[in-house]
Amino acid sequence: MNARAAVAALLIAATYGSAAHADPDDYVALPGVEYGERELELRFGTATKSGEERASAASLAFGYGLTPWWATEVYAKYHRSGSEATRFDAIEWENKFEIGEPGQYFVDMGFLVELEWANDRAEGYELRVGPLFQKDFGLVQTNFNFLLQRHFRSDEHEVTDLGYQWQAKYRWRPEFEFGLQGFGDVGKWNDWDAHDVQTHTVGPAIFGKFPLGGRQVFKYNAALLFKASSAAPDHTLRAQLEYEF
Amino acid sequence: MPVRFVVVACALLGATAALAAGEPEFAITIRDHQFTPAEITVPAGVKVKLVVDNQDTGPEEFDSHALNREKVIAGKTKATIFIGPLAPGRYPFIGEFNATTARGEVVAQ
Repeated sequence: MNARAAVAALLIAATYGSAAHADPDDYVALPGVEYGERELELRFGTATKSGEERASAASLAFGYGLTPWWATEVYAKYHRSGSEATRFDAIEWENKFEIGEPGQYFVDMGFLVELEWANDRAEGYELRVGPLFQKDFGLVQTNFNFLLQRHFRSDEHEVTDLGYQWQAKYRWRPEFEFGLQGFGDVGKWNDWDAHDVQTHTVGPAIFGKFPLGGRQVFKYNAALLFKASSAAPDHTLRAQLEYEF
Repeated sequence: MPVRFVVVACALLGATAALAAGEPEFAITIRDHQFTPAEITVPAGVKVKLVVDNQDTGPEEFDSHALNREKVIAGKTKATIFIGPLAPGRYPFIGEFNATTARGEVVAQ
């Protein structure tokens, strides 16, 4: 099976394989791949919504750039709801494929394939796939991703949801860049929910990178997201820390 | 309507992939953890292709915040880096794995 057939099969599987919503620690995936780079990553997010318990999530990951166009990463994901104890939630295997070279085409492109095995077997498996786009306008970098999500072998009604992620940032200095991020889910991919059921969040974000010498680099990004639809959490604080070596 | 929106958006964004054109090409060599030439003059307002030949045995990362490019180049291999169209100016880059010696600038004019 060649790469194109594999991508087509994954898209078909995601389309025809329960509603899934972004975790509070979700991040905006970028299309680029850094060959040979190893990274340790920590993600954290916490969301509050009036009348509901606070939901928090964290992930610890190891990633590696296997080829100039393929990076893979394995996450251990944890979740906490309200005053409950933090619990192990899932193992996630993320694969990112870079399409072409940055700057080669009008838009930089990649493709994301994530497979998640939930600790709670009733949640089954979750597949998330979709294209990643990036476009620079001078010192402003923009990203937009469409992602299809679907649970398999779960106790929930299995549908394929459409989600999105975006960001726009001003690349002021390597150590500090700033901009906006947004995340959302519109419901079933071909039959969107009413707007008051969809979840949309948007808010300010900061980014940065600190070289530590040799191959070692520390990167961070964080955002404070506010609800842009009534079904979304009132506030979400999310952060991603990466140590590359 | 939503399906049509998604299909059209993906088609429009994906179609841009077909718009690649021939770009002026410039060669850079990495040897002994240094870029040669260390200064490259390229035309402003035009997308250009840098072909970076890493002649060292170890990998190097072409890194430029000004150009928004990070590219790891394995030892004894070449890599292609597309930049621009650039406004006139100077755009520094480094070899991140040997940042004290591997330094250079793209000059767009």
